[in-house]
Amino acid sequence: MVVVERKELTLAERLYLPEIFRGMAITFRKLFAKRVTRQYPEEPLPTTEVTRGQPRLVVNDDGNIACVSCGLCEAACPAYAITIDGHETDRTIEREPERFDIDMLRCILCGFCEEACPKDAIFMSDELELADYTRQALVYNIERLKRPKSALQARIDYVYRLNDRWQSSSSTS
Amino acid sequence: MTEHVTYEYSPGAGAEELLAQHQDDPIHGETMRLNMGPQHPATHGVLRLMLELDGETMRSVTPDVGYLHRGKEKTCETLGWHRFFPHTDRLDYVQPLMNNVAYALAVEQLAGIEAPPRAQVVRVLLMELSRIMAHLIYFGTLGIDLGAVTLFFYSFNQREELYRILDAYTGHRMNNTYVRIGGVYADIDEGIESMIRSFLDEFPGHLEEMNKMVERNRIWIDRNRGVGVITAEEAQALSLTGPNLRGSGVEWDLRREQPYCGYETYEFDVPTGSVGDCYDRFLVRVEEMRQSARIARQALDRLKDVKGDVLLEDRRFVLPPRGDVHRSMEELIYQFKIVTDLRVPRGEAYHAVESSKGELGFYVVSDGSSRPVRCHIRAPGLMNVQAIPHVAGGRLFSDMVAIIGSLDFVMGEVDR
Repeated sequence: MVVVERKELTLAERLYLPEIFRGMAITFRKLFAKRVTRQYPEEPLPTTEVTRGQPRLVVNDDGNIACVSCGLCEAACPAYAITIDGHETDRTIEREPERFDIDMLRCILCGFCEEACPKDAIFMSDELELADYTRQALVYNIERLKRPKSALQARIDYVYRLNDRWQSSSSTS
Repeated sequence: MTEHVTYEYSPGAGAEELLAQHQDDPIHGETMRLNMGPQHPATHGVLRLMLELDGETMRSVTPDVGYLHRGKEKTCETLGWHRFFPHTDRLDYVQPLMNNVAYALAVEQLAGIEAPPRAQVVRVLLMELSRIMAHLIYFGTLGIDLGAVTLFFYSFNQREELYRILDAYTGHRMNNTYVRIGGVYADIDEGIESMIRSFLDEFPGHLEEMNKMVERNRIWIDRNRGVGVITAEEAQALSLTGPNLRGSGVEWDLRREQPYCGYETYEFDVPTGSVGDCYDRFLVRVEEMRQSARIARQALDRLKDVKGDVLLEDRRFVLPPRGDVHRSMEELIYQFKIVTDLRVPRGEAYHAVESSKGELGFYVVSDGSSRPVRCHIRAPGLMNVQAIPHVAGGRLFSDMVAIIGSLDFVMGEVDR
């Protein structure tokens, strides 16, 4: 048991005047310390592949969306931000979303959709800023969510690296 | 219409003498009711206090909680086991990772699993950094409440360093959601490790500097010493935990008494106070920050030796590796099953961690389905609010901010 020490004040400390100068010395030194304020809109924080910004949909190099509208991200979303309607196509991958809405006002950027996606179709981008005049404008539809795969490649590689686990064990495949 | 229930509290110790000092005051005896909050900066969120004032002396205080009630416990019942994690961040939002770990430990206890050794070390590290973050908020806001605005900037500057570390590690500054059932989402790599190491090298110096400004400052001592005294018996009767209980001289720390995540193997001291006033609670928290830095350093050293995965290999609770999901049908099925229907065996479990405010416990009940039947959060902040009427009666109105600041609660957790 360690009892914290309650020291009595010395005479100089009780007089308080010398203490004012001692305190001022600390604050005065800060004048010459490195500046820590950041002028936010002009100087935004640097974003990296680790940054979990708003989710975006991957468009493959052949121009088709990677999403097959399986609905796993919708099921994983803790904020009920995602709405998907799917339909069938004539391509080899037989399904794609007809409607894919993310309500950015509900989205909490937790990344569960990215974690749940089995088709590498949704990833967290480094886009963070969100402002508009109406609520409706912030419900992003599929066209506003689409990004070419190259734009998200750094994040995709990072997520693969993170989820590369259990290498010591035997794979079931 | 809801009916307001008013509680009568007896004034705290020494109240009668204090009130007697104001006998010759011409307006003595006339009381005035004053609402402090819910939108008052010194109430740390949306706490409403109904004060009965006799001049500047408080005859009684009635806290009114619930202004930030969002129904988190009920939300857990509809969301399911995994999807509740982001909601735990928003309980005590100054230390999100601590809440994540507390909830994960409760679910893991119910499921009968344990996180791998490396994940446990990472969790300890994250919890201790969270504790420093939360205590820095306490330090800064108590300062600003008592008029030492400079202190607020110094402590938030240090907190900003921690935010940067968490930003680099989790991708978010706040509300990190990086703990999972069966471990933590990502490993701490060398880059993050060196960031934490350099923070821990710098931090004690900055803490001493901040501490030097107030610890022996006469104004600080006059405002804190002898104010809001809670005796050891009272503290136990009020079911206070954490630094508030230890400030009253009771040595009770869950990291010692019921170790989790391997805390029994770390070396640290449990600081306790002797009087139980605001000043003791302040000293205890400052010492706890030093001890947290000490534990975090040990955890960092351990990361070198303890290798392995940070997520348990258990296909009932943990998503399979990403590459394997594409290659194997089996893993794809697990992916679907875990996301849509993560089931936890029937039973009930309670697990508590020593958070910066006290005992943060999660009580979860499962009927074997993918959704909890009940999730109760034992939030230490609620008990801390409970203590206000017992210590504030008979004190001067200006002592109220010192008492609120030193009891240290976050309304997100109190109202949940």
